[in-house]
Amino acid sequence: MNLGKQFKEGLITNNPVLVQVLGMCSTMAITTSFFNGLGMGISVLVILTLSNVIIAAIRKIIPDKIRIAMFIVVIAGFVTCVDLLIQAFVPALSESLGVFIPLIVVNCIILGRAEAFSYKNGVAASFFDGIFQGIGYTAVLLVMCIIREFLGAGTFGGGILNGGDGIRILPEQFPMGMLTLPVGGFLVLACLIAAMQWALSKSKNKEESK
Amino acid sequence: MSNEVKTKEKVDMDPKYIITLTVTLFITCVIVAGLLGLVNGVTAGPIAEINQQKTQEAMLAVVADPDNTTFSESPLENTQAMTDAASSAGGTLGDIYEVQVNGEAGGYAVTVSASGSQGTIEMMVGVDASGAVTGVSVINHSETSGIGTKVVGNEPTASGVGVLDQFVGKSAADGTLTVGTNVDAITGATVSTRGITTGVNAALAAVGAMG
Repeated sequence: MNLGKQFKEGLITNNPVLVQVLGMCSTMAITTSFFNGLGMGISVLVILTLSNVIIAAIRKIIPDKIRIAMFIVVIAGFVTCVDLLIQAFVPALSESLGVFIPLIVVNCIILGRAEAFSYKNGVAASFFDGIFQGIGYTAVLLVMCIIREFLGAGTFGGGILNGGDGIRILPEQFPMGMLTLPVGGFLVLACLIAAMQWALSKSKNKEESK
Repeated sequence: MSNEVKTKEKVDMDPKYIITLTVTLFITCVIVAGLLGLVNGVTAGPIAEINQQKTQEAMLAVVADPDNTTFSESPLENTQAMTDAASSAGGTLGDIYEVQVNGEAGGYAVTVSASGSQGTIEMMVGVDASGAVTGVSVINHSETSGIGTKVVGNEPTASGVGVLDQFVGKSAADGTLTVGTNVDAITGATVSTRGITTGVNAALAAVGAMG
């Protein structure tokens, strides 16, 4: 177990969104305000960590042939729990995330990590994998939220700060509303992935030339 | 070829293995279901309360005098004539609550849904005893963020009146409400405005059919 390496992988070199290109649907759909991104990121982090731990714990008794079915049952169980808890105790969040919370069941990040990591590794390593991958996902969501909210609505911290309206940075006539629409999501995500790939290949070249 | 199939079947059909698969999956499902039951037990109360509160707030938002208004605890029974009237106006009738102003019957709060640009818009329409609209508020919608949501957020139209507020005072006597003739749309969000208009028409039709 190598915590430093796992952390770096989750956040940068093997980032779930920018490098593994998983969980696109939710990334695109909900990153329109800071509050949404934070809520979604934390929900995924919690569910990913829990399901990783459980799957790692029972990986020895899961028959190979039905492992996907078992993963989905475990994941769906946790997602439904989190969905109910959010509806009951953070109604504002459940209103703005809507159907995307139940859809975490089929978020490829969680199934992907179950198959690629926790099915092959111990409980502790899977626990940290869940946390670090979750942080990686949340970080990308937040960056996207900040960019899209700033350029699309001209505000920062929408949903939390300043009574939910966010702090206005750009005067109202400047923002491009397009960026809060799905097309803006694609544009921002494409730019982020491109920047990430450029940075990764640059650091790789550096290592090779050493 | 036939041999191959046989061997494959043999492996797959090994009863012991199948039983192991079934039992493992079954036990997992039972455990997960039990866990869900527990969580549901904890959250069912608060969720029902929140939904109740949302309906209450939506109803208060559509009456003229919220401070002195109370509502019937349970919805009225929808007659076939009311449901038909609403659907022939293009909407779907939901629950109707009776409005009481200072303890006297003062109209109705009508839940209706009509299709917007991205899906169904569910709204609450307040209608007073004379059959005029006292207010419109949207309960649930999936309109495009930044465009259709302008309508939901009651932004002013070109005439300066909030797009939802412009319905206040209209009644069945004004004829069928239509975007472009007696209703102003938000630029770029005509379809969403049309959805709301259909809903208001349906609500007025349903109240008219009450007899």
